[in-house]
Amino acid sequence: MEVPGMKVSLARVRAVRGDWSLSAESVFEEGIHLVSGDVGSGKSTLALMLAGLFPPASGTVERQGIASVMIAFQFPEFHVTGPDLERECKSWDVDPASILAAAGLAGRNTASPLDLSRGELKRLILACMLARDYDLLILDEPFSSLDCSEKERLCTALSGRKRGITIIFTHEQAYFPQVDRIWEIQGGVLHDRGRLPSALCRWNHAPAVIKNLIAKGKVPVNISQTDLLEAACRT
Amino acid sequence: MITLEKLRYRTVAIEDLRIAPGVTSVIGPNGSGKTTLLKLLAGIALPDTGTVLVDGMSPRNTEIGWVNEFPDRNILFGNAFEEISSPLRFRHIPCTMIEDRVVTCMKSIGITHLATRPMQELSGGEKVLVALAAALVFRPQVLVLDEYDSHLDANRAGEIAHHIRKRSTPYVIHCTQDLEAAALGDVVIFLEKGKVSCAGTPEDVFTSLTGTAFYPLSWRCRV
Repeated sequence: MEVPGMKVSLARVRAVRGDWSLSAESVFEEGIHLVSGDVGSGKSTLALMLAGLFPPASGTVERQGIASVMIAFQFPEFHVTGPDLERECKSWDVDPASILAAAGLAGRNTASPLDLSRGELKRLILACMLARDYDLLILDEPFSSLDCSEKERLCTALSGRKRGITIIFTHEQAYFPQVDRIWEIQGGVLHDRGRLPSALCRWNHAPAVIKNLIAKGKVPVNISQTDLLEAACRT
Repeated sequence: MITLEKLRYRTVAIEDLRIAPGVTSVIGPNGSGKTTLLKLLAGIALPDTGTVLVDGMSPRNTEIGWVNEFPDRNILFGNAFEEISSPLRFRHIPCTMIEDRVVTCMKSIGITHLATRPMQELSGGEKVLVALAAALVFRPQVLVLDEYDSHLDANRAGEIAHHIRKRSTPYVIHCTQDLEAAALGDVVIFLEKGKVSCAGTPEDVFTSLTGTAFYPLSWRCRV
């Protein structure tokens, strides 16, 4: 018997707040998806709807073949439940020693999570989250506050996800994992820009570096730093 | 000139740093002391030893605009208009003048549509824009911005950077993880483990960071 693949389907979904609204008619299948949009366009609202934490005003969000869901909030402080780093890790059911080492916080077991810098707290929460395997992983602005080395590390970790659906909502302009599909919120509607690399030419929020490469006829194969540098060096 | 001498506070140790008027970008790894340095410059924290002076005065005797890296930690009031009015009210500006100044400031940042929206309903980027308006509305001498751009899309971040530059605030000091934005500053300071590893023009500082993750992508691609 064939096992149905994982997918999240949004049918005639609409979120409304005053004179602002967001509409989506889309299917997210297995792979890595990138969603971009302006400030206040509804990225976080859409992320919450996909995670089942915010009901649409109308329409349906259906998950198929998905047994586990996790969302990384834009604000890492919203995740904190432990009074110190040791107990914060344990609340995620992950090994504190290895997680704190991975997050560059070794030896700080008794520190309060809320005394960390925002970047350090983001590193900790993402390390706890990525130590586990989720069928649907939604990341709202995962790169914000991370330094460049950490952004690179996160891209590597996300690229290493071999299964499941990963949906990244971001304003990031320089660091991306290789992604399968690009989406964009514009004019209150979620638009599917398609698969890479053809999606790049339709991506209105593309970073300036990518737009410049395209203008010179050097369309990158994908959007990781390696892909961008390969395109830039192409003769 | 902002001068920092023989400064010690928590992990930050700076022997001698001078910051000229203009836009200064502070960059460095997470936990390198960027926020701590900005808090000292804003007078939110006082050094254990050493001095921070803004044109010869303590930061606490200077008009400072501040935006926290945690958007929710900027919020004191219920809606955006109240939030942006608050620095003027705290300074006992006549109520008749406050509305004009708040509306003008909101227009200049493009957030008049947020005026009556409850703060807790705003997106992360919108909260930061309101905090920025509250920091600018009383025309500070020093504007200190802790990673305000990490919540903004590239277009909006570019517009805001242009607007800040146009206002001619004497000192703008911002820390950022966006190296392209950092490179647009007059001066870049690279912090590592609480110390200034390098400070100077963007060209000088980024040249010294060639081959590291802190070298801007557009400089690598040179497109």
